[in-house]
Amino acid sequence: MGSIFDLSAAVRLYLLSCFVVSVDFTLGLGQSQDTEFTFLLPAGRTECFYQTSTKNGSLEVEYQVIAGAGLDVGFTLISPSGYKLASEFRTSDGIHTVEPTEDGDYRLCFDNSFSKLSEKMVFFEVIVEGQPGDAWGDEEWADMAEPESMVEYKLEDIRETMDSVHRHLDRSRQLQTMLRAFEARDRYLLEDNLWRVSFWSSMSLLVILTVAVTQVYTLRRLFDDKRVCKP
Amino acid sequence: MRSCKKIKTLPTGYALYFHIGETEKKCFIEEIPDETMVIGKYRTQLWDKQTGSFLPATPGLGMHVEIKDPDTKIILSRQYGSDGRFTFTSHTPGEHQICLHSNSTKMALFAGGKLRVHLDIQVGEHTNNYPEIAAKDKLTELQLRARQLLDQVEQIQKEQNYQRYREERFRMTSESTNQRVLWWSIAQTLILIVTGIWQMKHLKSFFEAKKLV
Repeated sequence: MGSIFDLSAAVRLYLLSCFVVSVDFTLGLGQSQDTEFTFLLPAGRTECFYQTSTKNGSLEVEYQVIAGAGLDVGFTLISPSGYKLASEFRTSDGIHTVEPTEDGDYRLCFDNSFSKLSEKMVFFEVIVEGQPGDAWGDEEWADMAEPESMVEYKLEDIRETMDSVHRHLDRSRQLQTMLRAFEARDRYLLEDNLWRVSFWSSMSLLVILTVAVTQVYTLRRLFDDKRVCKP
Repeated sequence: MRSCKKIKTLPTGYALYFHIGETEKKCFIEEIPDETMVIGKYRTQLWDKQTGSFLPATPGLGMHVEIKDPDTKIILSRQYGSDGRFTFTSHTPGEHQICLHSNSTKMALFAGGKLRVHLDIQVGEHTNNYPEIAAKDKLTELQLRARQLLDQVEQIQKEQNYQRYREERFRMTSESTNQRVLWWSIAQTLILIVTGIWQMKHLKSFFEAKKLV
């Protein structure tokens, strides 16, 4: 009965190394650095952030205004050579990608000068690819840890761990579906609310008008009746 | 065979930087679940008028870091040097506010009032120091990588639990708004009808008193 354990040690080692390499590829060899900040932008101010990048990389900027009257902010993206790559006036969110990037500092500015009173809370994320030394390569991982020994039970260990990860991810997906359903329900509830507010406001208006007309009519009837009755 | 083990730390890529004025306070918000560790690292540079560039800052030029929890209670308020590293672990889920301001008053003299701050804030499983974990638990390479995957997934789960709690609060707010709208509309209609009847009765008795009807 041929099974994996009948193979020679050399072949097993080879299979394991193949597995390691494929795991490495799935974990992502792309080196990218992800920075995100949520900050308060006072009224009437402009705040700028700078990101250094290397030649022929890529830069992605995504921003969103989370709080503050109007939920809008002005945004500009300026390249190291001073060229204005993006300029938006009073938008609530945006996403910009620069590829390939120049060598130097890119400047992102958020402008709240049009607002006299309200402070904005802005969330932004900068993803830079092609930076040196962001992710660990194979050698660094191997250096950090003890050398591998005993190949036989390793596959079993790996399978168990991967199973556990798989189960957790499944649970994550289930929770996400549940949350999505709740969110949809809340949205419908709010839409119903809106309809109810409109309906009852109209009813109120109708009642007001009816009451006003009835009042006027009753008054006039009081006068008319007496005039008729008096000789 | 490896006789000496090199403990390599992740080399820092280029972090985001910004300029800060003398008495200016910059605040960043981190919305995180509970029991999450946050590590912030910053590096300052001073503008040198002579060379026309930014140089590493002189010691004595420090930054004051103040961190508030979601109940606006201060959990960290400390002075750090020109290069600093601050850590905190959240005990309540919600919006934590990290504020930085420079403590120096001499900056205007030296630097023309400009200080460059490189800031990097890591949350959750990004704070784990893998070489240290490998050495402590004596893990092999695959075990270490699997450990990293598990940490990542754990963080995702924590984040989702927090989302569920936030959604519940949102749902409660929404339902109370709904109730209020309904009751006020009914009350308003009743008030109007009652006012109308009262007005008519009052006017009728007034006219009768004045012998007009």
